[in-house]
Amino acid sequence: MTELRIDNLSMTAKDTVLVEGATLTLERGEFCALLGPNGAGKTSLIRGGLGLERLSTGAAFLGGVDTRTLNPAERARSLAYLPQIRPLAWPNRVRDIIALGRFSFGAAPGRLKWQDAMAVENAIAACGLVELADRSADTLSGGELARMHCARAFVAEAPLLIADEPTAALDPRHQFRILDLISDYVRNGGGALVVLHDLQLAAQYATRMVWMKGGKIVADGTVDDTLSKERLEDVFDVRAQVDGRRVVLESPL
Amino acid sequence: MSVQKWLSPGLALACLLAIFAACLLGSTPLPMNNVLAAFIGDGNPGDRLVVWSIRLPRALAAFMVGAALGLSGAALQGLLRNPLAEPGVLGVSASASLAATFSLYWGLVALSPWILPFSAILGALAATSLLAIAATRTRSVVTLILIGVGLSSFAGALMSLVLNLAPNPFSLTDLINWTLGSVANRSFYEIVFVLPFWVAGCALLFATRRGLSALTLGEEAASGVGLDLRRQRLSTVVGAGLATGASVALAGAIGFVGIVAPHLVRPFVGHDPARSLFPSALLAGLIVVVADIGVRLIPTTSELKLGVVAALIGAPVFVWIAMQRRAVHD
Repeated sequence: MTELRIDNLSMTAKDTVLVEGATLTLERGEFCALLGPNGAGKTSLIRGGLGLERLSTGAAFLGGVDTRTLNPAERARSLAYLPQIRPLAWPNRVRDIIALGRFSFGAAPGRLKWQDAMAVENAIAACGLVELADRSADTLSGGELARMHCARAFVAEAPLLIADEPTAALDPRHQFRILDLISDYVRNGGGALVVLHDLQLAAQYATRMVWMKGGKIVADGTVDDTLSKERLEDVFDVRAQVDGRRVVLESPL
Repeated sequence: MSVQKWLSPGLALACLLAIFAACLLGSTPLPMNNVLAAFIGDGNPGDRLVVWSIRLPRALAAFMVGAALGLSGAALQGLLRNPLAEPGVLGVSASASLAATFSLYWGLVALSPWILPFSAILGALAATSLLAIAATRTRSVVTLILIGVGLSSFAGALMSLVLNLAPNPFSLTDLINWTLGSVANRSFYEIVFVLPFWVAGCALLFATRRGLSALTLGEEAASGVGLDLRRQRLSTVVGAGLATGASVALAGAIGFVGIVAPHLVRPFVGHDPARSLFPSALLAGLIVVVADIGVRLIPTTSELKLGVVAALIGAPVFVWIAMQRRAVHD
């Protein structure tokens, strides 16, 4: 059973506390939304949990192994990590960029074993990129690029996925589309931890919500248990109306 | 696809032809039969001397220098994700020249024939390491290029200082040879002493090329797909240092070749950094061999320097690439 277990993790940079005593488990079959205002420590928690950043206390385990001792390729085969989207360095073909998702299997663009090639074709089809596969990535729109990066994450066929703001700067339709793709992944047995800023979408898609504020996890549970008017006031400093899974933000406090 | 398939074999063939042509052409052109006879150790002794002691080592040195610079350029561009990265622009060649002149003018080279390539490589490694450290600190590649430009000027100034203070007599020609680059009068003796470093550097860059493709995604996402960033940085920096150092030890600093060749190759390999490495090395080798033939044929009173020809072609291309880049990337 592959799971990511973050245990009492704390991180500091110089004198600032980034994350303090965070404990969190991500299992297969759950769509976990990681919520919190800018600077709450969401990205730090992810980076620390993946073993990409130095921890001051605590540890994180992937399938029972400390992530700091895991080599990057092993880690990538168990957990696909989709950081905030940055521009590509070169105008590569879409297909080649997706193939990079198989890097941890020893593949490289133009050097794919048949399993890799199969996975690439499947991911292209799943993310609706068949027509775009041979285009140069710099001709794609923002929404198409986001789909390409999703395909790149899915192509690893890892049991877990962590995506940091995969819907940032997308129009509403594309936001739905990306979250639908992640939902499909979860329905097929994957476990996803997704940083989201759109609370309405998070409430609609997530099976579980993890709320962060000032480097601490302040709540962790089902949407029904943790999503409330008071929670939004406390975590985001905004006045809001919450009716079941419907969120209406009104004004800053 | 078919272009991609034939690119490397085609370039390899062109390199062989160019090296052969370099043996034919010169102040006194040799007929093809004489050259062929000389190759197999036949023909008249004069021709054999010209081919084996002058023209062939010179052409091979030119090829090695070009290939090392093309490969280092392509690899550094992959690592730093910028098409303007190159040993010359980043000050790696200048640092290697500085270290080489230092060892030369303090008489250290008299100790062993290994000292010269060794110090050039140390200079190159110091520069690539400095750049790699700077690259982890700054997100902006423009800043990094500027650091390289600063490094290059600084190394140039230090080199003049070294030459001014050197206890051994020297000539201005030596300074010009090191800063402008030349493969004139190279023999197999000099080639043998840089060959191990050249092979090691090229092999290291080539063996770790796959990670450069992953870096297309940016460092964070590259480590996300399973790249060991630290190891990749280290091997590219050491590989480029070895290859560039070897090339500087052989020919002095020759700029811009490492920019032009990868830039021409990239569209044919789907802009994939890994696949651009080998053809970039071949094309850069070809360019330098051809440029050196040109240098020998152009009727000037004193022979033009190879680096001058390289810069005459390369510098405008550099400016052109810089102008093509959209500001959004940085």
